[in-house]
Amino acid sequence: MLGAFRSALATPDLRKKILFTLGIIVLYRVGALLPSPGVSYPNVQKCIANVQQDGIYSLLNLFSGGALLQLSVFALGIMPYITASIIIQLLTVVIPRFEQLKKEGQAGQGKLTQYTRYLTIALAILQATGIVALADRGQLFGECQDDIIPGDKIFTLILIVITMTAGTAVIMWLGELITERGIGNGMSLLMFVNIAARIPYEGKIIWDKGPITFTVICLFGLAIIASVVFMEQGQRRIPVQYAKRMIGRRMYGGTSTYLPLKVNQAGVIPVIFASSLLYLPDLISRLIGGSQDSGWQRFIQQYLVQQDSWVHILVYFALIIFFTYFYITITFNVNERAEEMRKFGGFIPGIRPGRPTSEYLNFVLQRITLPGSIYLGIIAILPNFFLSVTGTGNNQNFPFGGTAVLIMVGVGLDTVKQIESQLMQRNYEGFLR
Amino acid sequence: MELALQIGLIATSVLLILLVLLHRGRGGGLSSLFGGGMQSSLSGSSVVEKNLDRATLVVGVIWLICIIGLGLLIKIA
Repeated sequence: MLGAFRSALATPDLRKKILFTLGIIVLYRVGALLPSPGVSYPNVQKCIANVQQDGIYSLLNLFSGGALLQLSVFALGIMPYITASIIIQLLTVVIPRFEQLKKEGQAGQGKLTQYTRYLTIALAILQATGIVALADRGQLFGECQDDIIPGDKIFTLILIVITMTAGTAVIMWLGELITERGIGNGMSLLMFVNIAARIPYEGKIIWDKGPITFTVICLFGLAIIASVVFMEQGQRRIPVQYAKRMIGRRMYGGTSTYLPLKVNQAGVIPVIFASSLLYLPDLISRLIGGSQDSGWQRFIQQYLVQQDSWVHILVYFALIIFFTYFYITITFNVNERAEEMRKFGGFIPGIRPGRPTSEYLNFVLQRITLPGSIYLGIIAILPNFFLSVTGTGNNQNFPFGGTAVLIMVGVGLDTVKQIESQLMQRNYEGFLR
Repeated sequence: MELALQIGLIATSVLLILLVLLHRGRGGGLSSLFGGGMQSSLSGSSVVEKNLDRATLVVGVIWLICIIGLGLLIKIA
């Protein structure tokens, strides 16, 4: 384990990449702590200390590493980019032109990425405006009375919005720089950093409850992380046999490989979908009326916002299972896969190529997704049962459960795999020489 | 002084957004966001990209200086 670290640092180009990535991460964290111009830093700190965070911003705040509530330059974090990617991904099903672009391969994908970037800026402007408006009206922190943005000139507000939007653009650039010259996928690494940055703070809250609780929760968290790693790595290998064929003078194929179907093919995206959908009613009820007294608003408060209520947990769970299936149907096109296999002369032993293959793949995928989706649901709702222990009400930020752990493990595994493959490259090179 | 910094901040912000959008997007969207993406091809960056990088860096530094300057002004005031 440690030997791998040493050899990773001993390889010059890999070391350069790792240091580059770390440098960008440091820059990013500095930006996340830098308050936007015009925001009163002491007042914001006072408000954060006073106010219990409530449901609606917890996910957003989690993804921005606590930068959102501080109204820092990087307050929006990578949330606009994630939202934009999700929207574009969903639109590929709806808009034929996008679907065509997706099929075009590298060039088309580049174009889609470009659309995502434009949409990110648009969303950033929207979100920044929303947050600044909320902060200006004093609603960001509920009943906190301190003036967050002193000097309520409209010019100051516009200045903050523009700065935050530019900050989002910079984050996008930093992420792309990591993807290009560093290790791992930049965007997900930045998200990883955001979540990891909150662990000490959350840990302190738990520590304050007493050392025994702390130890138990730490052990429990380790167990959860281990089980998440186990589930993430789990896959069903469907054997695929390729026919031998001649292209020019070389012989290709004739090998038997396998098609891996992961247990959790969808990653954390269903969880993100479900939680953003679940926050919608709360958002609507807040936008419509300040008084929480009418019947349906009280209903929402009591059953949907209260995160330890059974209705909330059940709805959340059901939504996650639904979105897992939904997302897999969108992203993993069974017919395409079967068609591809047939084109390159491959077949699954015992099953005819073409339609029977796609039907078989679909059958296996549906069945393997069921435990996958239930696992996702369980991991996501686990922290809801710990509310009495963490007690802050912002359970999604709880570091050892829910979205946070899923994302951290996913990104961590991916990054380590990339480092490993780079190391392998290096070693093979040395071996051949 | 404050007004100058504010105007500078707005100008650099807009410029920064434009410059970042001019870059060629890397990374393959959502599927690679949460693990499971293939590693992108290792095509080197072109001269245009390199110059864009430099320009973005310079503008970014000016942008940062404006923000810090404004923050200091508020703190002193």
